[in-house]
Amino acid sequence: MHDAGSFDVTESFPTRKYAMDGVRVVASGPVFYMTLTFLGIGGLAQQADVSLGFAVAGTLLIWAGPAQVIMLAAMMNGLALPAIALSVSLSSVRLVPMCVSLLPWLRDPKRPWFNVYIAHHIAVTSWVESIRRLPDMPPEGRVPYFLGLAHALIACAAFGTILGYLLAVSLPPQLAAGLLFVTPVYFMLALVRNASDVLDWCALGFGAAFAPISRSIFGSGFDLLATGLIAGTAAYLAQRYHKRRAVGSSKGGAGS
Amino acid sequence: MNAEVWNFDYWSGGLWPYMALILFTFLPSEFWRVISLYIVRGVDPKSEVLEWVRAVSNALLAAVVANIIAAPSGALAQVPLSARIGAMVLALAVYLIFRRFVFGGVVSGVVAIIGAAFYFG
Repeated sequence: MHDAGSFDVTESFPTRKYAMDGVRVVASGPVFYMTLTFLGIGGLAQQADVSLGFAVAGTLLIWAGPAQVIMLAAMMNGLALPAIALSVSLSSVRLVPMCVSLLPWLRDPKRPWFNVYIAHHIAVTSWVESIRRLPDMPPEGRVPYFLGLAHALIACAAFGTILGYLLAVSLPPQLAAGLLFVTPVYFMLALVRNASDVLDWCALGFGAAFAPISRSIFGSGFDLLATGLIAGTAAYLAQRYHKRRAVGSSKGGAGS
Repeated sequence: MNAEVWNFDYWSGGLWPYMALILFTFLPSEFWRVISLYIVRGVDPKSEVLEWVRAVSNALLAAVVANIIAAPSGALAQVPLSARIGAMVLALAVYLIFRRFVFGGVVSGVVAIIGAAFYFG
């Protein structure tokens, strides 16, 4: 009886519509960015002399572009496996703030393994395309939207990896430069599109400004997390100061 | 233990490369996603602390972009810094002029970089 009841709920809620919304977001642009970026990773895998299956498995399992590039480059240089594991892990520390800010919207306390499956799909692109949209959705629509989005992104990435591996054409350096520019320019515009308040703008500005300083202090490893923590906290404090001043002036200066 | 076991070539044949992939790249990377699940236990999506975590994420991603522009690797390094910044500004201008048109911004930025690479290359 209980099953029949929950079946009715899923019937009435348009789960498929939300999943298709996620796929549509990918079709509106990320389909190209993902395919083009992973074209490069597939080519790198071919140069690293791993099998096609290994290259695709890397895309599906790691699901974090920088970690995959680090793995392939390290293999080409004949780095020892524990050293590869360490540098891959170090590069994926960046996923923590993204996972922590997104997972409360998606997790189901009753399904721990399903949560692990969802967490696996969090990477930069799936984060920028859902952090602003999930809060405005009905709770039942969030997971279908996110998985529709993430599965479509991974499909594009796998396709790009295969294509890049099989073609393995050495692009003229001018086009290769264009390919490497897709990720930063897309991330920048997606972040600007998502930004809506003082907190967001300060975080973006402080983060970009502090990045070179952070790299020279912390070296490449924990520098990204350090920048995020320092610049993000500074932005948070700036927003609180801004809010307090706004409250103070609306009360004619009588507020604290 | 034989030192060769730490070399990827040792894990050849059959499913052994995949075993190495899981042990030495998948698990070390996935570790952080699973840790995050522990961190968010009991955290309400609307809580104030998530505002701060979102700011940390935004700052971190802005740093990712800034690092690629300031110190790129590979073919992108052949394009001068001024052209890399110029292409970002152009992308932003196209995005704003055409009313938040992300795709148009990305395409114009990439085309600008390819043009600059031909010009300076």
